[in-house]
Amino acid sequence: MVLPDFLHALGTQPLQNQKDSCVVFIQLNGGNDGLNTYIPFDHPGYYDLRPHIAIAKNDIIGKSNGMGWHPALKNWNTIQQNGDLTVIQNVGYPSPNRSHFRSQEIWQTASGAQEYLTEGWLGRYLDLQCTTTQPTGGVNIDSIDNLALRGKEPNSITVKDPARFRSQATTEASQLSTNPQLDFVRKIASTVVEGADDIRRAIAASQTEVSYPTTVLGKNLEWIARLIKGNLHTHVYYTSQNGYDTHDNQKSIHQNKLKELDEAVFAFYTEIKRAGLLSQVTLVVFSEFGRRVRDNGNGTDHGTAAPVFVIGGHTTGKVVGTNPNLDDLDQGDLKFETDFRSVYATLLQQKLQHQPTSIGITQAPLSGIFR
Amino acid sequence: MEPAILWSLRLGFSARQAESIQKNGIADFLQKSVTAPFTQKPPDFMASEPKSLAELRQIRQQIKNTEDPETKAVLKKQIQNGIAFKAWWIHEIQHSSFPLREKMVLFWHNHFVATQQKVKVNWWIYQHNQLLREMAFGNFKTLTKAVLQTNAMVRYLDNVDNQRGALNENLSRELLELFTLGIGHYTENDVKMGAKALAGLHLGEHKAQYRPRLEDPDTITYLGKTGQFKVEDLVDRIFEQPAVPYLITRKLLQWFIYDSPPEELVTYYGDYFRSVQFEIQPLLQKILVEEYAKPTAGSKIKNPLEFILQLHDELHISNPNENLLVFFLRQQGMDLCNQPNVKGWIGGKSWLTSQIYLQRQHACDLLCRGKELNRRVLKELPETLSTKTAQEYTPKVAFNPNDSANEIKQKMTQRLVFQVDEDLQKQVDAVLKYDFNAKDPNAQEAVMRLFLTLVKSPEFQLI
Repeated sequence: MVLPDFLHALGTQPLQNQKDSCVVFIQLNGGNDGLNTYIPFDHPGYYDLRPHIAIAKNDIIGKSNGMGWHPALKNWNTIQQNGDLTVIQNVGYPSPNRSHFRSQEIWQTASGAQEYLTEGWLGRYLDLQCTTTQPTGGVNIDSIDNLALRGKEPNSITVKDPARFRSQATTEASQLSTNPQLDFVRKIASTVVEGADDIRRAIAASQTEVSYPTTVLGKNLEWIARLIKGNLHTHVYYTSQNGYDTHDNQKSIHQNKLKELDEAVFAFYTEIKRAGLLSQVTLVVFSEFGRRVRDNGNGTDHGTAAPVFVIGGHTTGKVVGTNPNLDDLDQGDLKFETDFRSVYATLLQQKLQHQPTSIGITQAPLSGIFR
Repeated sequence: MEPAILWSLRLGFSARQAESIQKNGIADFLQKSVTAPFTQKPPDFMASEPKSLAELRQIRQQIKNTEDPETKAVLKKQIQNGIAFKAWWIHEIQHSSFPLREKMVLFWHNHFVATQQKVKVNWWIYQHNQLLREMAFGNFKTLTKAVLQTNAMVRYLDNVDNQRGALNENLSRELLELFTLGIGHYTENDVKMGAKALAGLHLGEHKAQYRPRLEDPDTITYLGKTGQFKVEDLVDRIFEQPAVPYLITRKLLQWFIYDSPPEELVTYYGDYFRSVQFEIQPLLQKILVEEYAKPTAGSKIKNPLEFILQLHDELHISNPNENLLVFFLRQQGMDLCNQPNVKGWIGGKSWLTSQIYLQRQHACDLLCRGKELNRRVLKELPETLSTKTAQEYTPKVAFNPNDSANEIKQKMTQRLVFQVDEDLQKQVDAVLKYDFNAKDPNAQEAVMRLFLTLVKSPEFQLI
């Protein structure tokens, strides 16, 4: 059913077509401490090895089966109670790399630890999926490009501020410098975005119906929701949140970051659910690595395996995989149980209707993630 | 950005001359640029081009019958050679050790405009071009006299139609309006009188010459002076006018340094230009030495040739298919030897529109991937395109594998962009994080991503 796009009310119509389902990725930058996010409080090792930063047992919420949430994630707990949040435990890969740069590259290109690929995994998917170039095949709401979406053809777009697309005329000077030539070039650069028309249309066709936090992540998810409701027909959305490299001062920093994440995701979840779209929108939250089990006195250093979280998209709402085994560590780091590429394979096969092997992913998809 | 790099880009088409400028100073660099050898002989394909008036007359007769396949072949060859000439010139520019002379040729070429489209004779276009090359650093007055007497100019500005009793004012007008004084410093009567003095200046075997039957013998009053004047007398009289130095001084400042040069500087350098009797080299020396010391980075938008050649140089692409560059320039609004009108390319902000900017972005993407500019970037690629086979090459950006991520980022940003603000720095930091290892097998790829981020930034468009 094709709806005219000047009717903003259509934002509340549920998408009829399976074709319009999408996956939304939130990349947590810096290496999120999975152990303090979804906590194995029942394992004595947790308190032995983390004397300075472990979360007190009484503070942990949503306890179940020896695991529970960091108290900042109270809304995530609610989502889990609703049956809409799946935890995939101990996700990582063989020969883990603890460099931000390299490990992010590995996750974004879906390569092995010793493999070097040029294009992102979603970029490769889009190269095959888009028979003609589609500038909004993938949409990244962020201030910088993401390697995951980089393909041979420009089938994705990075938009820092979709507000720019509200009106045809770029009358608002983005950022006046003292250099008129530079201002001129910047103005030109902002008009040149391919896919701008599609984005403009989608924004005009929808409106926000929920109150989002005014954080960067909040705004990014708000825009993504607008685009989804506005029928942009994009299958892949991407955004990121900075600040998870908690070597120092972890208790307060991690608390703040998780709170931001919790509130932004919950607003998004609420809006999508209200619009009747939750079964068609799959949110995936991950980080390039977890952190070392033993704390360093004030925080933690780079580690390895960590959980991946899936919300919506008819997810089963289970906790998949065993609780982190703090007795069986690899030089002080968690051993991975599920290869992240299996998670990708699952998403490709079950949400994007795409053959994982066609983009070089040979790991088998997982069962029990989606209904 | 280091001044040496900035000025290498401004006075040439890449950062290749930065070392020389750094080591020897800008004055010495100018001197070397002036004395460096430059191309003397015409490109090979010129050998078969018709040169004498008789040959050309014959071809014009032939062309009248355009159904003739032999004629069509002749026309096609001329067009091909026209393109080959542009490609040859780009080749000269790219391989010049001291490209300042070529940059001056380009400047004069855009000042004393004479297009292939109107002139139609490849040999005359070459002669015009070579004249500019030989006199690039010479005397502006002498150069003006010489250019007015090229077949190319006399044909381009319709002086072949300017004869006693049936005057054509085009050359006379543009001489005053665009080549020397500019509007406001002459009268309509001067234009008319000038046309009389130029009447009969027609095509010649090697350069333009007066045909006695077409000349106008009248005494005229031109810019307040009375007498029987011919072309060189007109130029002499023009150069006695107080206003004469400023138009060309302003254009030189615009060509090399400022899209919008401050008027005080135009006057300051213009006065000096007059005081050295309109010699280009001393004027350039004064401008370069004094401007070098000023913080003027980011005051000029790169023209398409500066943009594309710098990119090729940074990626170490030393043998591109010049024909593709010819077409890239055309779509970027810088069709060599074919300016839209006698005013030439306006430059400055008019170098960039949304379409053109997008095309530059695409060009960056393609070149960084080792692909030639292709149909996505170049809307029309005629089959008359060269015989060079399409090549895929491996682009490389230079960096030191012993450097840390921060050092690599710093060196590259300082080399490529005139300034880095908070936003750009954030992007740069996101592409190459602090723990990037330059000795990794994939390091070249990662640094290439950094390079791409920088050359696609708005800042890269300015020098």
